[in-house]
Amino acid sequence: MIEETGFGSKKESSVPKPKNRLIEYLKIMIKDKTAVIGLVIVVGFLGWSVIQGILELLFGTSGPAVALLPHNPFNYNLVVGLHGPDLTYLLGTNANGEDILSRMLYAMPRDAFISLGVVLSAVIFGGILGIVAGYRGKYTDEIIMRFTDAFLSLPALILVLALSVLFNETLSGVILALIIVWWPIYARFFRAQTLKIKNMDYVQASKLNNVSFLKFFFSYLFVNSIDPVIAYAALDFGNVILTYSTLAFLGIGLEPPIPELGSMAANGVGTLPTGWWYAVFPGLAILIIVIGFVLVGDRMQDIISNRINY
Amino acid sequence: MDTRTVSFIIRRAIYAVITLLILIVFIFVLIHVIAPNPLSLARLYAGNPHATLSQLKGVVAKYGLNLPIYLQVLDYTKNILTGNFGYDPLHDKPVITLIGIYLPRTLEFVLPGITLSVIIGLFTGAYAASKRRKPADYVVKGFYLATWSMPTFLLAAVLQLVIAYDLGLLPAIGMVNPTLTAPPDVLAFPILNAIWARDWVYLVSLIHHMILPMIAIALLSFGLITRLTRSTMLDVMETDYFRLTLMKGVSRNKAIYGVALRNASIPLVTYIVLAFAYAMGGAVVIEDIFSYHGMGYYIFQAVFNLDYIGILGTTVIIAIAVIVANLVADILYGVLDPRVRLE
Repeated sequence: MIEETGFGSKKESSVPKPKNRLIEYLKIMIKDKTAVIGLVIVVGFLGWSVIQGILELLFGTSGPAVALLPHNPFNYNLVVGLHGPDLTYLLGTNANGEDILSRMLYAMPRDAFISLGVVLSAVIFGGILGIVAGYRGKYTDEIIMRFTDAFLSLPALILVLALSVLFNETLSGVILALIIVWWPIYARFFRAQTLKIKNMDYVQASKLNNVSFLKFFFSYLFVNSIDPVIAYAALDFGNVILTYSTLAFLGIGLEPPIPELGSMAANGVGTLPTGWWYAVFPGLAILIIVIGFVLVGDRMQDIISNRINY
Repeated sequence: MDTRTVSFIIRRAIYAVITLLILIVFIFVLIHVIAPNPLSLARLYAGNPHATLSQLKGVVAKYGLNLPIYLQVLDYTKNILTGNFGYDPLHDKPVITLIGIYLPRTLEFVLPGITLSVIIGLFTGAYAASKRRKPADYVVKGFYLATWSMPTFLLAAVLQLVIAYDLGLLPAIGMVNPTLTAPPDVLAFPILNAIWARDWVYLVSLIHHMILPMIAIALLSFGLITRLTRSTMLDVMETDYFRLTLMKGVSRNKAIYGVALRNASIPLVTYIVLAFAYAMGGAVVIEDIFSYHGMGYYIFQAVFNLDYIGILGTTVIIAIAVIVANLVADILYGVLDPRVRLE
């Protein structure tokens, strides 16, 4: 941690200039081999999603949007229907002869953006509610925390399922349902952190300095509680992808002909035992992505809670 | 029991009731947001998109959908607390009857699955903690990470593919051999029914079909239990009393599995509830893949046919089950570990 209190200002000039925190952070991160694996998976997944996602946004389902893929994911070719994995079709084809690898790659940006959006919204809503609860205390705290508990008491998947059915099983309904269900755990995190820091000297001092309310809220309470949240959020991207793909598996929130990893697996289960590649590979892709996020999140948690030696 | 324990239990019970009421009101509000007027509400309750106006008016009158909103909330809450979850238009039966049929079938494989994963997970977690930062720790970690991050449908599909289709050890789909006639329904749980009727062939067939879903549930919660046990064990192994045990000359294995694991397994009651809640979600997918007609199948059917009454009824039932389980776990935890009561 870099000293930021005013008392140390004279000392600081004699101390070497603090290096970029992010780079320092990354350096500690890659000392662990498993974290490197996780980082490679996550960066690869996010990088691909950004590039392919922009192409899909601009061009939809044709032209440049499918140029980067090994095959056109929407090309019906019944001659090679349920073709096993080989050199032309690396992960095989489905019953319509569409290339599974291309369809998986086409589906990935959606998972990335949905998980990003859901986790970000959860951090914001959970942050606001948790900080208010922790800072105000008493009845405000009690009311907000009872709501949080009510949401946490149900398995996330069941609640998301019920909500997305109420929202007519559309994609936007699924995203809305995920957003409604995802914030409570973050509210708990932020509340616990706020309780820890609210009586610290620098927070009290900021009040004497007459800092504006918004500045006080964001640059004192929010920023200083966010460290443990970031580590959990890194891990949580994977959880959102898991839940979202399970919904897709159950047939909720699909927008045909756009492929979705979960629904591909669902169709694949129908072709078992012959078309095993169709059921297994989309699921395997999700597994690898989620493991990537878990490895990164685990390592971040270790760093933040000082469980490792620098 | 001293007064502190009693007040702790009462406080927890009040919290549980409040939690349940909040959930009920939340679901009620949601229904009214998507169906803001009595007729659209009636359409949800009728479950038939082609219902005529007079039929809808009948539904409005039957369920009191044009009453003032505060009366409707009270009605809705009262109905749920008295076990009236509405009438499922899809199956043409009250939801509570359907849940009475399907829930025991699911519990039959979920509960043994969780028990299995708790027993195994406790020991693998303790083992990993005792071999911290050694290859054995990494092997366990790799295994629990994989099962933890695995989508449920991949887990179930691979089990089905390898054990049922490739090796042919167990039946791939279904609940029981369809050529057998079911024994009379006396005790709600099919297994108990078979035992009651002394129908051993039927019982063996039931168990055969149950093993794969049970293994899937066990693997699903195995990661969770192992991970939690490992981190609790690491905490316990840092404590003074554990060091003292070692210093007294107790062998390391005895200290780990006798002293540390016993203390680390106190939070177990909480883990079991967590695993149970997690498994109820997983059961939806697992039952779909194994064509096992339990609660998950019912939920899947409701989702597939936009059966709002069915989906809301099951959600509330699962909520009640989890809240009650949580309450029991909290109280047990408080009784086992006096520090919890002091909060």
